[in-house]
Amino acid sequence: MVVTAKTQDGKEIGKVEKHYHPQATNCRDTKMKYGAQWKVANLRDTSIQPAQPKIESIEFDLPKEVRTVDVTVQLVYEAVKPENSYPIHSITKTVTLDR
Amino acid sequence: MRSIRLLLALLFVALPLASAAAAEKKAKTIDELAKMYDSSSCKGCHAEMYSQWEKSHHARPLMGVKGGLMLTPLATKGATAFSPDDPKKATIKNFPCFKCHLPQAVISAEDSVAVELTEALLTAADEKASDKAKADAKGKVAKLQITCIVCHNTKAIIHKRELGEPGSNVLYGKKDVAAHPDKTFTSVKKSAIMTDSVFCGQCHGLGPNLEFDQAFQCANLYGSYLHAYIPSGGTQSCQNCHMAKGDHLIAPNFNDDKQTSELLAKALTLDVQTLGYEWLRKAKDSYPKVVVNTKITSSAGHRIPDG
Repeated sequence: MVVTAKTQDGKEIGKVEKHYHPQATNCRDTKMKYGAQWKVANLRDTSIQPAQPKIESIEFDLPKEVRTVDVTVQLVYEAVKPENSYPIHSITKTVTLDR
Repeated sequence: MRSIRLLLALLFVALPLASAAAAEKKAKTIDELAKMYDSSSCKGCHAEMYSQWEKSHHARPLMGVKGGLMLTPLATKGATAFSPDDPKKATIKNFPCFKCHLPQAVISAEDSVAVELTEALLTAADEKASDKAKADAKGKVAKLQITCIVCHNTKAIIHKRELGEPGSNVLYGKKDVAAHPDKTFTSVKKSAIMTDSVFCGQCHGLGPNLEFDQAFQCANLYGSYLHAYIPSGGTQSCQNCHMAKGDHLIAPNFNDDKQTSELLAKALTLDVQTLGYEWLRKAKDSYPKVVVNTKITSSAGHRIPDG
């Protein structure tokens, strides 16, 4: 999941990525491995679990002169490598501090 | 004494014959193995299902996503603990992935099939090889498929102590069919597990494969189903969602971007709530801040991602 905050003229002022997936090593060192032939067991699992909502709260501190930003949340599935991605959802909201 | 000699003599004659008979049943080449498990005759009567299967990952279990060759590291010297030093000496044991990606190789292939596969994988990945040589090598790998016979015969029985091995002329499905119009598979018997998640769980894994001399881990999906989905009160089977109405594509098909995105969007919902305000760090020192709250909810019967 990629969350970005951009000013109204398109300047990116914040970006946060969250990666949801099981993470495995070969149980001989501490390096995470991709590929069944190298992995032995999961040591961490941040994947999206059945019946367990994945909830995040992300904060962007804005420059003092910025009062309005466009926040975009993109949920993307990556298979094998980041370039091989499948968009799932993309939601953009304009957030302003002005009333 | 004479009878013992006779018995020993008979054993010497009989054992090689038995071995030869067993060897005859095993494929020596990729073509032979592909032919043994060829399911193209199913297409005549089951055209729609066959067409769905042809587009599925089961039809290209060694090809990875979008034409990749996922077994290449296993063929490459030093790349993995399983890789043979010499392609000519490759054996079935060099490819533990066969357990699920090509189960028929474990029971029906000679080591010579592993040699041929190793050489094909290396040729396909060889930058110096001609385009034709690479395409031919890739085509050879593509012949190895999880065909109808693999699921509807080889993997159809898990209660072998009670039910025995799959019959050589029997296919297994959702119901008994007394007469099945096929030269080889002349009847269809009801499988005890064909509509149960455990059927898929045979390959779509529990976690580490600890039965091998070098443990490795591929899919965890069935483990997630058993230990996360079922405890959450889940009642659906793999087949309910991935084979609705008998669909043999068994989506996702990662070669189809649009369909994969749609399937994922159906399984995962995303809710986004935002808030903008001025946060007060200390007196007279406030900062503009935006809070983005996200909530992803899954209706899948397993973790995402998994396989």
